[in-house]
Amino acid sequence: MADLLLIDRRLIARGVTRSSTLRFMFWLVPWVALVALGVYAAALCLYYGLNQTHMDNRFAFGMWIYLDLGMIAMGAGAFFTGFLVYILKQEDLKPILNSAVVVGLICYSGAVAVLMVDVGQPLRAWFTFWHPNTHSMLTEVTFCITCYLFVLILEYLPVLLRNRQMRKVPSFLVFEYQLHKMVPVLAGLGAFLSFFHQGSLGGLYGVLRGRPFAFRQGFAIWPSTFFLFILSALAVGPSFLMLVTATAETLAGRRLALPSVFRKLGFISGVLLGIYVAAKAIDTLIWLNVTSRAVGFSPWDFYSYKPFGSALLFLEIVPLGLLPAILLTLPMTNKKRGWVLCGAALACSGVLLNRFILTVQTLALPTLPFDDFLQYIPSWQEVATFTGVIAYGVILYSLSYRYLPLFGQAKGVDKNVSVG
Amino acid sequence: MFPWVDGFHWSPGHIIFLSLFFVVVLTIVSTFARAIWRTASDFRTHHAAETCWRLNFAELPEAERRCRHELAGRLDNRICPNAFDCRHCAQYAEFAALPAKAASLQAGVSFSSDLLYHRGHTWVRPEADGALTIGLDELAQHLIGRPDSVQLPAQGSAVESNGVAWRMTKNGHEIQVRAPVDGTVVATGGDKQGWYLKLRPHHPVNLRHLLRDAEVPGWLAGELDRLQLQFSTPNAQPCLADGGTLMSDLMDAMPAADWDAVLAATFLQA
Repeated sequence: MADLLLIDRRLIARGVTRSSTLRFMFWLVPWVALVALGVYAAALCLYYGLNQTHMDNRFAFGMWIYLDLGMIAMGAGAFFTGFLVYILKQEDLKPILNSAVVVGLICYSGAVAVLMVDVGQPLRAWFTFWHPNTHSMLTEVTFCITCYLFVLILEYLPVLLRNRQMRKVPSFLVFEYQLHKMVPVLAGLGAFLSFFHQGSLGGLYGVLRGRPFAFRQGFAIWPSTFFLFILSALAVGPSFLMLVTATAETLAGRRLALPSVFRKLGFISGVLLGIYVAAKAIDTLIWLNVTSRAVGFSPWDFYSYKPFGSALLFLEIVPLGLLPAILLTLPMTNKKRGWVLCGAALACSGVLLNRFILTVQTLALPTLPFDDFLQYIPSWQEVATFTGVIAYGVILYSLSYRYLPLFGQAKGVDKNVSVG
Repeated sequence: MFPWVDGFHWSPGHIIFLSLFFVVVLTIVSTFARAIWRTASDFRTHHAAETCWRLNFAELPEAERRCRHELAGRLDNRICPNAFDCRHCAQYAEFAALPAKAASLQAGVSFSSDLLYHRGHTWVRPEADGALTIGLDELAQHLIGRPDSVQLPAQGSAVESNGVAWRMTKNGHEIQVRAPVDGTVVATGGDKQGWYLKLRPHHPVNLRHLLRDAEVPGWLAGELDRLQLQFSTPNAQPCLADGGTLMSDLMDAMPAADWDAVLAATFLQA
């Protein structure tokens, strides 16, 4: 035990105060238990197959795909913050960049892990790369997410190598410095990859002609959902980052980011959310009046199946779309931390609801005269895998916060100090 | 994926998609490879120690990066922008010309005006034959006492300024002592001899970066203040200083102190 305390203390950066080792271990215990349960559930699914879930041939997307879509949207803060800092030179956001990278890594690695369980047959995962179906949006998603995960790992590596003990190894320290110098390249690459896979995830639903609730017209080969997903991810990425930072601040009992960082992220998030809500409203109007009627459906019929009434549409666009956009953008509310966080929480809820509607409501609704309204309730294995991934995220973030410079220490080499 | 793999089509969509994919993969791989290559290159060209030191210096608390002229009382408040390498400081001559305020030091740590001091608590003595003798200063000796083990570099090996000169262990703590100057090791001593290394400088020697004269007491006074703070009990009430001198072998005398933090601050580890 004494050794553990010593190791823990030596891993924490000098001059930084963290909770006691014992308290930290107590904090980790429930999350580790959830991860263990999740691993067990995932192993059952991989061993026995998807009969362990409540998905079937008609309800092929369930809780896991919802988790994927949600996490990838929330993880957009990583690439977007990197883009803002390194490409648009918004240096004042630099102190939260490391935290954004960790959030992104958690979201994308969690999403990939769940996808591997969902797709099954992980030993054949390479097939999708070796024999790609370039007509499928999913192929683009698979390629981009995999590549971006590697980009995130490369972006996380310098953060990891800044650990107090890692820094003592000269080759690690020099490698961290050299890799850090190339992070702008990775930030640009991340923005490129994210743009396409966020879009393709949306496009995936928009091209479903057999699902008129989701089917959308669009531009060239891309349905409107392609662009809506990009916009919504850009909008909520910074909001989710603010929520994570605020949660970490509450748990740590100290301020981790300057109020100006919150204000800036809030404003960026609010403006983008406003554009998204406007685009979403126009898209919905076109769908209501043109797209769905063109294929012989009365759009309001889709909302006659409870609990998916039209109130859900209103909820998504107004209280969880327009309202947070106003809260985050208006100077009066943007200056108040409470309102900014409230706006961020509403914005994230709105986009999570959007992903839920597109995944679950789309598949639940009947599309043929002899179809019934389908009900789907996830099995315990699906729930356990889902919560296991969330718990993994909490653990990775907690460890990173404790042992790595996540906030305000992204100064790298002093500006006045030149390295040979 | 490739023309010889089943499912490949010579269609524009296929070619564009896969080309973009390969460009992305090549960019990721080349970025990683370039970082490794540059790292290896830094070690090959002997820039690695300098890079490590400057990265480490940037992470030190401001209180540990104070300019030598502030220590001597020539300036009120200045953080060193040159990683303690005054040889490249454009303002050195300007500040050195200012009058120094001599600080008195009566805390049981002595220093010699014949020696030059490095902030990592080593001293340097130029010898008549051109060699440089290096030892631990008195404050560091008071802290460590007799080390459990000492790992000295082999004779003939090169030591780089601000790199690791030698390592010691004491009560389970590893101590890396920073080299105050570059050079080739010509002889090694130890705590019994009172000095640890004799170096033959690589180039014509320039010791301008080392502390001397009025700078030394100012620096040591600051170091003793730091130690007092680090050794004080958390949440202790304000109390009157009672004077006294620094005990010897503090690591044995105060095993419960946060030696991790004390040693890191003393030997300039971030």
